Order: sequence, then C-alpha cells, then structure tokens
Amino acid sequence: MVATEELSDRERAAVEAELRTLADDEFVVAERYTEWQVRGPTLEADIAIANIAQDELGHARLWYDLLEAFGYDQVDLIWERDPDDFRHATLVELPFEDGDWADCVVRGYLYDTHEHLRLQALEDSAYVPIADRVGKVRGEEHYHREHAQNWLERLAESREGRERVQGAVDRLFPHALTLFERTDHEEAIVDTGVRPEPIADLRAEWRDIVSGFLAGLGVEVPVESAEELLPEARGRNGIHTEVWRSLYDEFTFTYRQLGRSEAPSLMPAPEEADVDV
Amino acid sequence: MSEPPEQPDPDPFEGGPEYCAYTDYEAGDAADGLPATGEGATGVEAAVWRRLHEVEDPEMPISVVDLGLIYGLTVEGGHATVTMTLTYTGCPARDYLQEDVRRAAAAAEGVETATVELVWSPEWNVEMVTDDGKADLREFGVSV
Repeated sequence: MVATEELSDRERAAVEAELRTLADDEFVVAERYTEWQVRGPTLEADIAIANIAQDELGHARLWYDLLEAFGYDQVDLIWERDPDDFRHATLVELPFEDGDWADCVVRGYLYDTHEHLRLQALEDSAYVPIADRVGKVRGEEHYHREHAQNWLERLAESREGRERVQGAVDRLFPHALTLFERTDHEEAIVDTGVRPEPIADLRAEWRDIVSGFLAGLGVEVPVESAEELLPEARGRNGIHTEVWRSLYDEFTFTYRQLGRSEAPSLMPAPEEADVDV
Repeated sequence: MSEPPEQPDPDPFEGGPEYCAYTDYEAGDAADGLPATGEGATGVEAAVWRRLHEVEDPEMPISVVDLGLIYGLTVEGGHATVTMTLTYTGCPARDYLQEDVRRAAAAAEGVETATVELVWSPEWNVEMVTDDGKADLREFGVSV
C-alpha cells in the first residue's frame, strides 16, 4: 500500500476505520480498568490492573497518533468528539458489577484474547505504519493474558469463585462478540490488506480458544450462533449501551469544567519556546 | 539390616513459591546499525549529537543517546530531524522527553529548527544501551 498522503479514498477510509476501533477499544477499556485502582482484592492486583490500564492507554495513543496523520488532533479524537462517533465494542464500556473482581478478570481475558488475535493479523498489514507498531504493542500485551488466565484459574478453584466467573461469562460473552462486529468498511479493510484476515475468521478462532480454556475450568460458554447472542447495541455501528454517555461525560468532565478548547500540553508550543536550553 | 537412607529431595524448594517471572528482563537482539550515537559525525551533525548527549532520561542519570533511544539524525538547510523511540508506549514523560530532544537539537550551532519523529520499530531493548550507558546504569544501581 502507498504512503499515507497518496491513499485513495477507499484505502484511507479502511485505514481510519481499523484505527478507530483499535484506538477506541484501548482507550475505553483503560478508562474502565482504572476504576479498580486501589480497589483490587490484593495490593498486587491493584498494581497489575493499574499497569495494564497504563499499557492500554499507551497503545490507544499509538493508534490515535496514526489518525493524527489524517489531520485530526486530540481534541477531535477524544475531548470534543461526538460520543456517537466512538466505535469501541460495548464489552469495554459496560460498568463492572459492583465489587465483582471476576467481572474484571473475565472481561480482561475475553478482551485480551481478542486483541492478541487482532494484532497477530495486523502484523501483516499492508499499511506499514500499523505493521510497524504491532511488535511493540504485542510485546507489552503478553502478560495481560497471563494475568487474566492466572486469576481465572485461581477463582475457578472454589465454588463461589467459579460461580462468579460463570456469572460474568454469561453477562459479558454477548458483548465480547461485538469486538468482532464488522464496521461499514470491513470489505475494504480486508481487500486492501489493512487487515488481511476477515474479522469473522478471527471470531471463530477466538471462540475456539476461549471456549476451550473456560470449559477446562468448569465454566460453561454459550454455544449459540453469534447472531442469536449479540446484543442490540454493538458499538462498532455507533450504537452504544445507555451507560456510554455517562462514562463519556465522566472522562471529558475536567476538560469541560476548565473550559478548555485544546489539549493541555506540558511544554510550550515550539513557536513559543525559548530554544536556549 | 537398616532401611536404605531416604533419597534426598532433589529440589528442597519444590512446591514452594516461585520467582516472579517479570523481574527477568529479556535482552533481545540488537538491530543493525542501532542505536545511532553520532560516531563519526562531522560539522553541524556532530554539534547536534553533542547536544543530544546532554539530554538525560527523566528517571535515570543516563543520556538518551546512551540509552539507545535515538535512531537517526539528519540536518538539511538548518533543519534537524531526529528519529527516536521510547522504551514503553505508556511512557508518561513522552511529550516532555520529545520536547527536550527537540530543543537540544534546535540549540546546536548551525541549526535553526528541529523536529522529532517517534518510531516504534525496531523495538527498543536493553541491547540498544551503549557500553557507556550500561556503566551509567550500573552506577545508578540498575543491573544490565
């Protein structure tokens, strides 16, 4: 595929659509994870989840950076974006069941297994700026899955823990399927090679992996077809659950309260900076 | 006859706690020609490299050049372009560090303006740290 500034309209739309779902998923999942900071079941769990949230924010930034190459800035992409324009899957916006650590762990497992497969597919992206970032991101993702799997194994050892995991799977599985919903640009994404593997193939792979692992822990996983299970709000199509608006209001609250019109910067803009170091 | 002595347990710690796998930093491979350190540079480029050497990592007393973050430098018509990476995508000092590097490059004699381009490939790893950098890190108490 050609350089960014020479992309055809169709190619550009495909790259943008893929980047927006990647970036929005990471940003919103991190936003939710931070709710567990200082509330995890152990000090180590607190630190781990805070660290995972930081990783996901770092990855969101890498993908949003690439969208900036199309002329958007941080204000357009986050702070003043119409909440209906976000394309994250509904799995990542749902609030956690009150105090239910199993919800956080199951969600992380379902999400990170999906991310692992998605990034693997993007290693071969024809859009080089994406392919060039995948290695770095994957290198930081590995322990997310290990963290979730370790906790699932631990929780599944007791009856109460296993019931909580089961409850979370029952609630979250349909929303996890929205991670694999097609955007309006899926066809272009695949045949321009932005992501050579169709999202439906990734879903089949994902279902095999998560169903096998969870069954091994004595947890039942839905077997119905995706169409039967999927919720109405699927995120990728711009339709979100009713909680999205309040989450959006929460993370943009300070920006609005301070009357900002641009993203604050730690240092003066280059033209205002004194170059004498 | 007495019973044969019991075989000593081959691993007295078996079943005990295990080390946390994440205190073990994988080394990785050094990428060809990286990091760029300015060795052999002349003229304005050499002046920029001297300035870049003075920029320290915000968390450790080591130059960003010796840490291996700088991947390339070109100077054309008074404009310096620095290509660099970061050790971690979630680095909270990203803007700060990038701006430090930009200002340092712009302050070199013969340079009027500078830009910094962040890249993520090849991925940084500890093999990118120069020998001087490793010595600085050891003195600081980091085992490399």
